Amino acid sequence: MKQNFNRLSAWLGAVLAATWAMPFGQAQVQVTDNVVVVVDASGSMGARMGGSTRMSVAKDALKQVLEQIPDTTHVGILVFPRGNWVYPLGPRKESMLAGAIDSIQSGGATPLGDYMKRGADALLKARRKQFGYGTYRLLVVTDGEANDREKVEAFTPDIISRGITIDCIGVEMASRHTLATKVHSYRNANDPESLRQAISEVFAEVASGDAGPGGENAFELIADLPEATASAMLKSLSTSGNQPIGEAPVMRSVESPLPQPTPSQPGGPTSAPPDGGVFETVLGMLCMALCVLGVPGLVIYAIVKRSKK
Amino acid sequence: MKAKKSIAASLALGLAAVAAPAQTQLFSDLVGPGSVGSVKAGGALQVPFIIWGGDMATFYANGGLKTKSGTIFQKQGLNLNLTPGDDFIQQVRDYRAGKSPFLRGTFRMMGQASEVIGSDPRTKGVVILQMTWSAGDHMIAREGIKRVTDLKGKTVAVQQGGPHIGMLDDVLKAAQLGWDDITVKFFDALTGSGSPVEAFRNDSSISACFAVTPDMFGLCTDLNSVGTGAEGTVKGAHVLVSTAELSRSIADVYVCRKDFYDANRQLVRKFVAGYLKASEELVDKRAAHDAGTRDQSYINLLNQTVQIYTEEVIPNADEAHGLLLDCTFAGYPGNVSFFEKQGNLHGFEAFQKASLELATSRGYAKQKMGLFASGLNYKSDEFLKYLNKTEMVRGERFRAEAVLSEIEELSSGGLLDDRTILSFTINFEPNQTEFSAVQYAAEFIRVIEMADKFGNAVVAIRGHADPTKTLIDLIKAGNAKGTMKRSGTRGNYRYSLNGRALDLNDTSRLVDAIEAGDFDGVEDYNPRRTMQAALNLSRKRAEAVKKSVVDYAKGEGLGLDLSQMQPQGVGIAEPFIAKPSSVAEAGQNMRVEFRLIRVSAEVTQESDFDF
Repeated sequence: MKQNFNRLSAWLGAVLAATWAMPFGQAQVQVTDNVVVVVDASGSMGARMGGSTRMSVAKDALKQVLEQIPDTTHVGILVFPRGNWVYPLGPRKESMLAGAIDSIQSGGATPLGDYMKRGADALLKARRKQFGYGTYRLLVVTDGEANDREKVEAFTPDIISRGITIDCIGVEMASRHTLATKVHSYRNANDPESLRQAISEVFAEVASGDAGPGGENAFELIADLPEATASAMLKSLSTSGNQPIGEAPVMRSVESPLPQPTPSQPGGPTSAPPDGGVFETVLGMLCMALCVLGVPGLVIYAIVKRSKK
Repeated sequence: MKAKKSIAASLALGLAAVAAPAQTQLFSDLVGPGSVGSVKAGGALQVPFIIWGGDMATFYANGGLKTKSGTIFQKQGLNLNLTPGDDFIQQVRDYRAGKSPFLRGTFRMMGQASEVIGSDPRTKGVVILQMTWSAGDHMIAREGIKRVTDLKGKTVAVQQGGPHIGMLDDVLKAAQLGWDDITVKFFDALTGSGSPVEAFRNDSSISACFAVTPDMFGLCTDLNSVGTGAEGTVKGAHVLVSTAELSRSIADVYVCRKDFYDANRQLVRKFVAGYLKASEELVDKRAAHDAGTRDQSYINLLNQTVQIYTEEVIPNADEAHGLLLDCTFAGYPGNVSFFEKQGNLHGFEAFQKASLELATSRGYAKQKMGLFASGLNYKSDEFLKYLNKTEMVRGERFRAEAVLSEIEELSSGGLLDDRTILSFTINFEPNQTEFSAVQYAAEFIRVIEMADKFGNAVVAIRGHADPTKTLIDLIKAGNAKGTMKRSGTRGNYRYSLNGRALDLNDTSRLVDAIEAGDFDGVEDYNPRRTMQAALNLSRKRAEAVKKSVVDYAKGEGLGLDLSQMQPQGVGIAEPFIAKPSSVAEAGQNMRVEFRLIRVSAEVTQESDFDF
């Protein structure tokens, strides 16, 4: 039964609850692993490569890599400049997946950076829906010849800083290309060995003390780190928001007014759903501002993210 | 609610109640000798009431102290004369003498009287109705007492024979303390002069006292505030436990004499059905009033309540509304659940057991003489066709997202421990989500029982993971990229970052480097991915523990409210040891913490009844 005490603080509590709800609420949510594949089908991908074309080699490589991804993983395929989401991010259906890949046609410009952003934004949206849980990978299949090179350079570190793992399948790609050097893994479409390299399981915790190089005790590796430094480093790692790539996280400053509850909801607004129109409301924006994902408890995000050096 | 303190002071007059001794004594001695008389036939039937919001439904059904035409009770064919019963001992005397066939009190008070009334077959007690649960009784503690366990060896003030004896028993059980672990000082009055509250104000040797809502407001300002010493509050006084969360502790009931019940089953059924009808109408009217709707019949009830209890006790209609807000009606579903639901930890059988145990262990009774459950047929048309709110299924009692965000607020504000009623930890092996459930059976039972008693507290099941590997991956990623280097020998290492010497205390430089991506892009060592894996692992641990508790409750046939249990993965955000230096230390971070947490009323879904 509702207690007859301070209504204002009760209401403020409800507002706070609503704004904080996103990263922590997890009622009935399905938590999955997620991979978005961004496929370059620009004109340069039509170039001849051996007895085939780059595009054709890329498709074969992509199918091979997808085979190694577990059935439960949600997959999305985003093709540029034409085709768009030939397979929207969601559960795998093998028959449709193969058809989607086969349907890709090359030709046109190469807005690689823009599409990496779109793919990453889709992952961030999924991560918001899953309240931060799950895994998120962006797989880029390209020859690397982008029209928007500066965007590729700018977006790549941003995507990585959000905790999204970027893997690249290069098709005759220059070895010094950003996507070959700055991302987490690089596989050569023409190298069957590298394509078969399985995505290894990630362990969260040290299982014993001998994980260091040369038999060094794992704990010795961090022994010199002052505790405060260690905490600050972890906190820094965890402050990666779900706002679209290229955009600064929106902060709720002390001065910004809180939304007023509507008369029909004396108890304060209920939590906004994680997606859809309501999320775009003012309250939703506040939610987004505070939806700092990674490690929920560390996300009191009162400081504006420092500009990158 | 305004002018709360006036009600506190004045309730004393109305509740000059139980003439209790300083120490517990046999209830039969308190009542004194007397013979059993039969209930008078003919005329208006005398029915006792006490000062409580639940009794306002009786007024509502009766239209006042005497049954009025056109009221619920009149339409049920009843003719009642409601009489003040705050002196429970006098009630028992009247009941024994046959002046009234009814007793009105909390279940545990009935337990105290059980031997007196149970010693004659005519006066044995039949529990016929559960009216309400209390949400308006509180245990207030002094500064420095953060948990109930802090009361060990301390003095606690409580009214003798009243509703708070049972609550104190529940509080002690929750903290795994016995009555011998504390010193109990008994007081005659519930409130005002000669009450535990007055003693708490005047005697600093009393560490905690029990109080009704108006007194709680007077001592602490409100449920979640600490008294400042200003405006009559007591500096440092705060609510340690409240029936706002210990919501299945105080059950208000009516008991009927066995001889009368056997002879007048139909009448009793009409009375019970009429009361339930009144309570289902009142919950709607009360909610409408809260929402700002003016309903004359409700205003009339509030005014009538002031009149019945007198202005000295309930000064105005607002106070009467506040009195009603302090109770949670059981309604039809609550009564069916109370009397009939198997495995109901807050049902008749559970209360009977606890009440008789308390009565004998505390010296109110020498032997356990049981009460009867009414055995009314709730499936009959007299209930189902007469009442409207008979739905036994209800939605989730808690708003999951609001609960979790409140927990986060408490956690980040450093208040989680203060709000934790009980907790225990389950440890895990590295990267594992399995654990030995058998090993934790005793804790599981305790959590299931306490979660039931503390019906408005939430069971937070918070999974955690160890941050060591994330830190190590961070360092290794720096090494692999060549951004962060180490030279020298063990015990005398020197570090550099991007070619410049690095002082490991230079937190901001390291944080800048992390944000600049100086530790990113290494396939084998990706601290962000490791951290994400830790978050996922911690969630799986929490889910595994929840499943284990749910399975356990199912196996034991115990009721469990799933919405009350909130699993959550915290990842590496709240390590027990922030930078472990050994496997053993890291292991302490690999855990699930179970916490029963007091949360605000706002995270619960509004519902008509609790059951």
